[in-house]
Amino acid sequence: MDIFLQQLANGLTIGSIFALVALGYTMVYGVMKLINFAHGDMVAASAFVGLTIYTQVMGQATSLVAVIAIFFLSAAVMACVGIILERLAYRPLREAPRLSAVVSALGASLMIQNGIMLIWGPQMRIFPELIPQVYWDINGVVISLIQVLILVLSLGLMIALYLFVEKTRMGAAIRASAIDQDAARLMGINVNRIIAIIFIIGSSLGAVGGLFIGLYYRGITFNMGWQYGLYAFIAAILGGIGNIPGAMLGGMMLGLFQAFIAGYISSTWADAFTFILLILILIVRPTGLLGERVAGKV
Amino acid sequence: MKNLERFGFPALIVVMAIMPNLLNPRWQAVAITFLIFTVVALSQDIILGKAGMFNMGQALFFGMGAYITAILNSQYGWPLLATIPVAILLPALFGVLLSGPIIHLRGDYLLVVTIGFNIVFIQVVQNNLGGITGGPNGIFGLDSLSLFGTQLTSQLAVYYFAFAVLLLTLGIMRNLEKSKAGRALHYLREDHLAAESIGINTRVYKIFAFALGAGIAGLAGTVFATQYSAVSPEAFEFIQSVLFFSIVLVGGSSMPGILLGVFMMFVLPEIFREFATWRFFIFGFAMILAMILRPRGIWPATFGKIPKFLIKESNHGA
Amino acid sequence: MKRTFRNILLTLFTIVLMAGLSWADTLKVGVQAPITGSYANEGQGIENGVRLMAAQINAKGGVMGRQIEVIVCDDQGTAMAAAICAKDLVNKGVAMVIGSYTSTAAEAAQKTYFNAGVLQTSDGTADSLTEHGYWTFLRNSFPNSAEAVFAANYMVNVKSYKRIAVISDFSSYAAGLAEATVAEIKKAGGNVVTYAKIKADSQNFTPVLTNIKSKNPDVIFFAGYYSDGGQLRAQQKALGIKADFIGGDANDNADFAKLAGSSAKGALIINVPSPDALPYEIAKTFIADYQRTYGMMPPSIWGLMNIDGMRAIIHAMEHNQSFDTKKAADYLHNMDKPLEGITGSISFAADGNRIGGAYVVKEIQADNSYKVIYAQ
Repeated sequence: MDIFLQQLANGLTIGSIFALVALGYTMVYGVMKLINFAHGDMVAASAFVGLTIYTQVMGQATSLVAVIAIFFLSAAVMACVGIILERLAYRPLREAPRLSAVVSALGASLMIQNGIMLIWGPQMRIFPELIPQVYWDINGVVISLIQVLILVLSLGLMIALYLFVEKTRMGAAIRASAIDQDAARLMGINVNRIIAIIFIIGSSLGAVGGLFIGLYYRGITFNMGWQYGLYAFIAAILGGIGNIPGAMLGGMMLGLFQAFIAGYISSTWADAFTFILLILILIVRPTGLLGERVAGKV
Repeated sequence: MKNLERFGFPALIVVMAIMPNLLNPRWQAVAITFLIFTVVALSQDIILGKAGMFNMGQALFFGMGAYITAILNSQYGWPLLATIPVAILLPALFGVLLSGPIIHLRGDYLLVVTIGFNIVFIQVVQNNLGGITGGPNGIFGLDSLSLFGTQLTSQLAVYYFAFAVLLLTLGIMRNLEKSKAGRALHYLREDHLAAESIGINTRVYKIFAFALGAGIAGLAGTVFATQYSAVSPEAFEFIQSVLFFSIVLVGGSSMPGILLGVFMMFVLPEIFREFATWRFFIFGFAMILAMILRPRGIWPATFGKIPKFLIKESNHGA
Repeated sequence: MKRTFRNILLTLFTIVLMAGLSWADTLKVGVQAPITGSYANEGQGIENGVRLMAAQINAKGGVMGRQIEVIVCDDQGTAMAAAICAKDLVNKGVAMVIGSYTSTAAEAAQKTYFNAGVLQTSDGTADSLTEHGYWTFLRNSFPNSAEAVFAANYMVNVKSYKRIAVISDFSSYAAGLAEATVAEIKKAGGNVVTYAKIKADSQNFTPVLTNIKSKNPDVIFFAGYYSDGGQLRAQQKALGIKADFIGGDANDNADFAKLAGSSAKGALIINVPSPDALPYEIAKTFIADYQRTYGMMPPSIWGLMNIDGMRAIIHAMEHNQSFDTKKAADYLHNMDKPLEGITGSISFAADGNRIGGAYVVKEIQADNSYKVIYAQ
């Protein structure tokens, strides 16, 4: 039983990182109907940006304030990168054929990934131990401080996002743009602004996810974005793409699924099982678990 | 444009037939790589460009062909050329089996599912399923080409093997455009509903396109295994599929566009070796730029053959 | 038309031939190493070392009057890139190839070098490297089987562990070392409670470690590379697994301790001695030169072993007064007197294995330094 609970804790930790990253995919898809392939690489970039901020700007000071500052500064930097990405690579293609935007997104992904390599080098970079290694042993289930932090912060951010989208005027504008951009424009909504906001939110949440990866696993590589991006994207589809609570649910489920597959069946087949799950869900229930919130079909 | 097709292609083919004799071994190797990846890009074009299905797992069929050749040669001692029928038919069969259940999925989902197939394939060969794929190292030390008992160890032999495969592929694509199947694909890409209502079984033709593309990619895999005397999982990762996907779209799903795309992606980095680390960065930038300036590809297919997805949609998202 | 074409061909052929003759004045030494990728610092260490050694030999007049020309190819530590590198280096006419760092990359390139008669010397420790019977391959390190015997003896007889867990990844080096160690442990009467495999670079090892925890081991022996080892150690501590941690030789890298953070303390690593611990005069001189040239220590002993392999081949050529690679190999396989090397005396068995072995167990201290606690 404690093995089961331990895998549950492991799965929820990695699942909440997937969920944070999945939100970026799902929001962009919801409004623009575009798979933002560059999002995973933005997540990787944020880990490198955070590391540089810590070593160059903070002068390697280890304190609670420093950690919080890294989160805010990295999120701010990545939000700017997100806006620039949208302006340069996606906005000119908004009226173009759909696949042109997909190719542009793939190009942006290659550019960001290899930009990281050119700036920070191809070798693994190592995060300092900013969160002290503190553990609690509860009847044989060991939970660490960083796991608790990741879970609590992720849940907090997700609830805040949900409330923002559901309860505020701005959130209503986002939802309206997701349903029909032309109608939203007629209602006086500045769709360009909405899209910019979506990229700010998605990139910031991705940045938090990237920093969690750096703080939790410590070793970061320039090409790790593909892996996390792909998992997060699968999580978004599992929950129903375009659907914000769906991305949260999908992320958590995928994290648990992978933990249990790796724990009880085989860690070496985890990827294969993940995709078999995805394919089965798409065949049986093509709109994901919670259903899509996307108006049109392709 | 017409002139280009009438004179440009024969000229290009003549150049390709003579060229390797003038090159040193290193550039012969680059030329062989160019031929192999051109064939794979063309096979991807059948599925993505001609049939309009968002397939981002073409490296799977390419890799499957290469692995079949490598396994049959290293484990069972088949001559390389004798593995060709299996390396075509098995990937084609897999194309049918894999595309069957997912063909009705809409574009974006098809994209993700085909990525998934590719990743599952990599995991299967890495985990050394059945103990025949060599795990993460792959299989090395294959035989060299042999024909009627004569060993053909020179690179030139491999070049002309690759060249023959390219000519075959071009022939198939030419026939496809003029055949019943080609017309059917053309209609269903132009207007799915109309095609169905005039009695075209869209499902069958889509699966046919998948099988054809998979078979050709499998054949290219045989050439690949022959050239490198080795296969290994990372050569068929889904990033390769992404490249083939992009080459077809950036090229505009036309012959010259695809040749240009393969040349830019696989030959230019060899010429500008000092830019090797910049290669993907520059290519990513070029992809964005190409799409912004020419959303239908650098060299779009001639009118009447423009794939549906390249025609502007009235309401994006719909 | 036909004649013109033939003339062009002939002209080109002559140019190539002349170019070839003018190049023949140098001795071409290939370096096949992971210049980029996860093991980039090791690969760059090999390249730096070979370039330095070549410069030193060239300054003294070269090898039998020929200057050494170094040609580097990046194999990224992967089999496919290695196969391409091998063809490339052979096409460029190298006489010998130094490297690669990983056994996988060395093995993928072996047959190409063998077919071309190009000597290859690598620090790869997988036993399979010397099992193909290629006369061109010379191992400049000691094979896994020697390390497995040492590790098993240490765990079963010295430390008297009762429940041993073994982990490896899928690479030929790691799986080979792990399987050999498991066999040696059993031979020594030890008890292997589990042998698990991880996917290299996948970061999240907690599911596998949680399973291992339920087996209640008193030691975990990890046969993979440092980039995974450091994270394994950290996650082992985070899961409250009290077992000792012993890493195989590929964990001997400063990044291991950085990755493991405060969990690094107490981890054990089995390896040959590190560069700064080499007692030989020739080692001290070369390392001092290396530091002066590149402003840092060699990343590990592996690069130095490769340099020793290069020195051995050049020594053989000078002894034979011939650049013939087959003669050089014959001489190296039957040396009457070992060559003094940077990493100790070098001589080769008939199968290309380096003779000898000198392993130590190092413990990582609180300040991330190493302390040798047991030596062979």
